[in-house]
Amino acid sequence: MSRKVPNRITLTIDGREIEADEGAMLVDAAKQGDIEIPVFCYEPKLGQPVGACRMCLVEIEGIPKLQTACSTPVRDGMAVHTRTEQVKEAQNGIVEFLLVNHPLDCPVCDKGGECPLQDISMGWGNDRNRVIDEKRHFEKPVPLSPLIAIDRERCIMCYRCVRFSQEVPEDAQLQILERGDRSYIGTFSEQPYIAPFSGNIIELCPVGALTSYTYRFRARPWDIEQGGSVCTLCPSQCNVSFTIRDEQVKRVLARDNPEVDDGWLCDKGRYGFQAMYSLDRVLNPLRYEGGYPVPATWPEAIETAAAGLREAGSRTAALVGDASNEEGFIVQSIVRDALGSADVDSRRAPAADRETVVALADPAISARTIDIDTADVVLVLGTDPIHSSPAFDLRVRKAVRRNGTALAVATDRPSALDGGATEVERYAPGEAANFLIELAAAVRSGADTGVAGLLRGAEEAVVVWGERIGRGQKGPEALAALLELAGSLGFADRPESGLIEIPDVANARGLREVGCLPDAGPGLSETAKGRDVEAIRAGLESGEIDSLLLFGVDPLRDFPDTEGWRRALEAAGHVVCFSMTATETTEYADVVFPLESHAEKDGTVTHPEGRLQRVRPSAKRPGDIHPGWMVLAELSAAIGHETGINSAPEALEAITEAVPFYGGLTGERIAGRGIRWQDGQAAEDFTATLLSTTAADPVPAGVAPAAAEGSAGEDSGGAPGGIRPTESSPAGRELNDSGALTLGTYRDLWADSTTDLSPALNYLMPAQRLEVSIADARRLGLSRGDEVSVNSGETSVNARVAIRGALAEGTCFLIEGTIEDNANVFSRGEPARVEIGRPEVKLDLVAAGGDGEAGEQ
Amino acid sequence: MSISPEEIKVVPRGPEPGGAGGAYRAFGETLRGLRTTMGRLFDEPVTIQYPEEKTPVYPRFRGRHKLHRFEDSHLEKCVGCSLCAAACPAECIRVVAAENDPENRVSAGERFAAVYEINLARCIFCGYCEMACPFDAITMGHDFEMADYNRSDLIFTKEMLLAEAIDRTPLRGEGE
Repeated sequence: MSRKVPNRITLTIDGREIEADEGAMLVDAAKQGDIEIPVFCYEPKLGQPVGACRMCLVEIEGIPKLQTACSTPVRDGMAVHTRTEQVKEAQNGIVEFLLVNHPLDCPVCDKGGECPLQDISMGWGNDRNRVIDEKRHFEKPVPLSPLIAIDRERCIMCYRCVRFSQEVPEDAQLQILERGDRSYIGTFSEQPYIAPFSGNIIELCPVGALTSYTYRFRARPWDIEQGGSVCTLCPSQCNVSFTIRDEQVKRVLARDNPEVDDGWLCDKGRYGFQAMYSLDRVLNPLRYEGGYPVPATWPEAIETAAAGLREAGSRTAALVGDASNEEGFIVQSIVRDALGSADVDSRRAPAADRETVVALADPAISARTIDIDTADVVLVLGTDPIHSSPAFDLRVRKAVRRNGTALAVATDRPSALDGGATEVERYAPGEAANFLIELAAAVRSGADTGVAGLLRGAEEAVVVWGERIGRGQKGPEALAALLELAGSLGFADRPESGLIEIPDVANARGLREVGCLPDAGPGLSETAKGRDVEAIRAGLESGEIDSLLLFGVDPLRDFPDTEGWRRALEAAGHVVCFSMTATETTEYADVVFPLESHAEKDGTVTHPEGRLQRVRPSAKRPGDIHPGWMVLAELSAAIGHETGINSAPEALEAITEAVPFYGGLTGERIAGRGIRWQDGQAAEDFTATLLSTTAADPVPAGVAPAAAEGSAGEDSGGAPGGIRPTESSPAGRELNDSGALTLGTYRDLWADSTTDLSPALNYLMPAQRLEVSIADARRLGLSRGDEVSVNSGETSVNARVAIRGALAEGTCFLIEGTIEDNANVFSRGEPARVEIGRPEVKLDLVAAGGDGEAGEQ
Repeated sequence: MSISPEEIKVVPRGPEPGGAGGAYRAFGETLRGLRTTMGRLFDEPVTIQYPEEKTPVYPRFRGRHKLHRFEDSHLEKCVGCSLCAAACPAECIRVVAAENDPENRVSAGERFAAVYEINLARCIFCGYCEMACPFDAITMGHDFEMADYNRSDLIFTKEMLLAEAIDRTPLRGEGE
């Protein structure tokens, strides 16, 4: 199944000849001829039209009754009339009917001024209403969730929100309750509608029935401006539009880009803007004197930072996280060109080496995001998109629901996509390599069952894989097996098949490509090999590295091995920290520079599929914040290396010069929708220079054949497919009598600083929970909600038990990045083996409880 | 090139300067004007001694704005809908709305104006705000004496607009 180019047909609407795609709905075809047919319930993003509101009635020659234009596909030679007396009467009637119960409280309604019902009543309605009876009344407004207020009086029953909930994130929480004229939108037993994508229904609502608590009454459409940008809170990089009033972001709306986000936005992207105005935001440069932060002027701060870095010279390392391509490029230039060090990394844990990164970025085996839509098979590997990149979750669901794509999920932790999957495989944390080696072997040997069978039988297949499978000791093997899989499936020869990597941080791909890797310079070029993130930590601790530049990273919260990082930061002689907010990490800094948010930044970012997108400044920078590229350029100059960058476009120019395959991309070409560099003029350059220098065979020599042979030998006695049934997944083998479990950690969508700092999202911040399988819970005598302590050696974390049926026996999971009991304390490269115990209860509580019981007895 | 006699037009002129004609030109016209002056010399003066005296304004005169409360509940009529700001051609109105606390209501509706400012230095007194208001919360009053020493003092806040205006301007009665 591949993307088809539809036939063009001709029809006449109101006497105008219009050319349209065959199978398009009449409403869409009319738009191409500049004829507007009013609609309420029609929304192509929600899937098949339902024709619920009847607003789009039109007359079609040859059909005696009026037809709904939203659900009538066009035919060749069709003659349609949208302005006849009969149609007008119907339109007037529908508007009058919709207004029977609509309260007309437009002056207090949030939607007033941007309300389709207002517009359509003015354009197609009558100005008189013959109904004199009392309108129906509901309590208003009531909270539908802590983020959304519902005013049921205003609802016109278009079903958009209900369809969204059922068709898009498939949570099916919203329902129509009651029947006939008493029907209303609600949830089962008035549970709050809490879902990662709930905010989209506010944007979908064609009236003011669903309003956002964060935007209620904040502004009117004539008070505001819209600023288009890109959300950089996760790798999905959804296109957004900021609503600006008084130079501040008041609301975030989706900016439809079907090739990136399909027009949806997760609640983190929608409500996370509040973090920009949090009290923890760093508003001016700070110097730490005697352990206390002192506000500094910009020249002072830059001089202090530069002096420290100059002194450390090549004993400096840099870590880049939340940064645009421009910022990442200048940071690596400071480290490499100004200080003569090679220690720069943009990852949280060591992963693929340069050769593998290059091989995986080969345009021939890369898929586009939209390839997921039409693929026959999608394999989601080692990532749960709902947590790592929510927009991909919706896209995979759409493919499965609407296009009949077969989904295979292979993860360590049960994923949100399991429900719609044809094949589900579980492997133990850190064991992705075993699974992949077996899978690659099975595909090679021609298996026709399981995941291998699915992939082999597909005309077009897309593998969505998480950066984390490349971590740890077996990481290189896993990636080699992935490359082998891509090779044996012939992705290079299939136009709509390929790999898409979901990285850990939002702009990971861009940062790698501009040179924020220890072994690759700008454009993934060969360079002196420096230390990776783990070696930088060790180097700081041992004193080999003296000075550290942190750009938009918070190692103490986000990086594995929290204690190790604390020791490293304590040992560091000079720490320069660029941070948007005050964190635990900034307390170890000598100089803190404030960072811009994604509503203030001017720069580019690179989507996981290779699409360069522009982050545009929409809101005013609060306080005394300077643009990131400018501060870095000044810092570089103060160290003694002139970058020659004096503006944001010049920074982009510097990148396109340094990264050959970004060549020719300018702000104008990237524009509002972005452009994949693979589609740019310099893409051949990538294949010609980078791939030929690494190896003729994209699989790094030495690793893959050995791994493949090993796996083949291991499976020789098994079924020809070589795929084990899920029950005896590798996780099962690791069980031993001591009762220790293999601990995996995962990044929860909500476990990050954006959630903490946005008052609206605060309630979503997860408390630490331990996910265990049913069998382990039974064996260890755990039940849901029990408070336990998870111990590994000296390290211990308290958590509440959650039992998950789909979890493999012998494994358990904790959340990374929580405020308290952060699971990152355990991760030191390899998955930890943990014992589950009872937490230490405070003494006085025990005493009080014991006394009471004794007394009663 | 010569000019033919028929092309020459003769322009009639007044008396030659000097002599009787000159005297008339000097005094005649002046005296004619002075006759009007002398004639009005003993009439009542028409000057109004502003600011001690004031011209009464017509009932529909558009002066300084007023915000109103309901007479019974004393809640503000304004719900902060911003329609006045949208209608204002001079863009001198700024409204920031907020949600009412049901325990401690400010206005009758769901929302109220937390900030309501009119920059009277910029207002052109067109009255569109009054016309746009769906709740008759803002009306144009009769006061026109708003001169001040400082531009920023001409930004009237909600409290100033809600306060009972000092009645400084006489209203013209029926038939006046």
